Amino acid sequence: MASEMESSLEASFSSSDVLPGTSGFLSPARSRIFKIIVIGDSNVGKTCLTFRFCAGRFPDRTEATIGVDFRERAVEIDGERIKIQLWDTAGQERFRKSMVQHYYRNVHAVVFVYDMTNVASFHSLPSWIEECKQHLLASDIPRILVGNKCDLRSAIQVPTDLAQKFADTHSMPLFETSAKTPNDNDHVEAIFMTLAHKLKSHKPLMLSQPPDDGISLKPEPKPAMTCWC
Amino acid sequence: MLPGLCLPEGERVCTRPLEAGPVLSLLSPPDLNAKRKKKVAHIYEALNSDPADVDALRRLAIDEGGLLTDEIRQEVWPKLLNVNTSDLPLLSGRSLRQISKDYQQVLLDVRRSLRRFPPGMPDEQREGLQEELIDVILLILQQNPQLHYYQGYHDIVVTFLLVVGERLATPLVEKLSTHHLRDFMEPTMDNTKHILNYLMPIIDQVNPELHDFMQSAEVGTIFALSWLITWFGHVLSDFRHVVRLYDFFLACHPLMPIYFAAVIVLHREQEVLDCDCDMASVHHLLSQIPQDLPYETLISRAGDLFVQFPPSRLAREVAAQQQAERTAASTFKDFELVSAQQRPDMVLRRRFQGLLRPEEPAKDVLTKPRTNRFVKLAVMGLTVALGAAALAVVKSALEWAPKFQLQLFP
Repeated sequence: MASEMESSLEASFSSSDVLPGTSGFLSPARSRIFKIIVIGDSNVGKTCLTFRFCAGRFPDRTEATIGVDFRERAVEIDGERIKIQLWDTAGQERFRKSMVQHYYRNVHAVVFVYDMTNVASFHSLPSWIEECKQHLLASDIPRILVGNKCDLRSAIQVPTDLAQKFADTHSMPLFETSAKTPNDNDHVEAIFMTLAHKLKSHKPLMLSQPPDDGISLKPEPKPAMTCWC
Repeated sequence: MLPGLCLPEGERVCTRPLEAGPVLSLLSPPDLNAKRKKKVAHIYEALNSDPADVDALRRLAIDEGGLLTDEIRQEVWPKLLNVNTSDLPLLSGRSLRQISKDYQQVLLDVRRSLRRFPPGMPDEQREGLQEELIDVILLILQQNPQLHYYQGYHDIVVTFLLVVGERLATPLVEKLSTHHLRDFMEPTMDNTKHILNYLMPIIDQVNPELHDFMQSAEVGTIFALSWLITWFGHVLSDFRHVVRLYDFFLACHPLMPIYFAAVIVLHREQEVLDCDCDMASVHHLLSQIPQDLPYETLISRAGDLFVQFPPSRLAREVAAQQQAERTAASTFKDFELVSAQQRPDMVLRRRFQGLLRPEEPAKDVLTKPRTNRFVKLAVMGLTVALGAAALAVVKSALEWAPKFQLQLFP
């Protein structure tokens, strides 16, 4: 695995992530770290989502993740420099039982991912949620649900209302996105930035960049979805 | 972060499957040719004796350059695995796709395994090989219901497929799966975790400072998981390096990949110690494997470490660690059984001992006390020196000496 994946850490620090309204001055002080674990079935696009956020593009080729991969990106939120660490995990069930639990330690947030074109990956979510509960000591850790591959419109097997209902039941906000479609770069960005804002402020936040091209980006904050903690 | 270690997309260096890689590159071309020819002659001599001299083949597979060409590998790998190639059954896994419970996962993994194929290969040929890859995997799983597929198994099978072809790959990988890889193919990965638990004790034996640093960082051992369960096939870009390592691992005890993993970490000591002492930094550094490792030196070093600190010696510490982590006991005895039958480590042991000069204090090295880290560090220096001396003697025996000595004793 030579190139693509490895470059994300380096790439992350060169991208400018200064939000509008901030000075752009990066404090040399030690930055806070938000550790986020990304879980879900094999081939739902966990690696692509994390790569998209950290390197700013869709990887040309990805391979099965064996064990746990790690990507990082520094962002600035309200003048504070924050490191967002994404821990990208293997999807195959056998890896998570005895292998991945070490990496749940001190996690600040959890991202559950399913493939909108694969209903089985949606049906696996309860077992992922259950497992997550077992690993995490704190019950108030922010969790979000991401449906990936929304660009494959004709192949969608998981309707939005069904996913929304599920998300509501589990008190999670739902996002539907595509790591692949370039227009959706902002959405992947917005998802992780929303999470970062949430972690920083412990308050529900609007998306930093509202969607404008018609691709659905739940949540417009609505009561059922704001139960972050 | 080391610049330049990551090859950009499409620049993966790879030979065509049946082409011999340029090995023994420390030597000038005329020397190279002569040494190569000599080694090839040795290999065929061992192959053609009746019965084949498997110990000699093991030694040749471990020694510098390994088995040199894929043509030779096609003949020697079956001997190392004790597989009879004269009467191969004509079986295909093509019909198993409808009934295999693993088909979907295998398909997902094989589809995404483009990097394992030489970059210049036409799509059509690659797609044909991917179909064969699926067939081989499903056939082995179907014939051995006790084996459980894991992501990464496909990286091992593709290496065999590219080197020996579908027909021979099936029995070779089947044998490998029921022996070397068996613990990775249990219903759970507890045994795999157990094997990973050998990593830190090996590092501790050689470099306690590095060991303590990694423990403080709580880095864990998952960074080495893909190394172990794919025999580095998942992480190395250059196919020549992959098959060179496979020569080595096929000739050795099934635990050798974990010794090799330890040797890589030890080789990168300074980079690790320069890292921030936290899980993310150290995990990230170590999981990015440098593509320009000095493979021959590391192979020799791993062999030496295995002889000095055999699994039986490490077992107590591993058990303590295991208990601390409350994981299940493993079927590890099987490894000892395998080695008793095939005795691959005897080759290493003889190699190591035969290489010690009589006046060298071999005993001290082999029974080094674990007192304090200064002693350990001193021993580490000695190990390196002995490794070098050992190499030098091998090389002089095979008339390969000068450059290597220069490299290690500048």
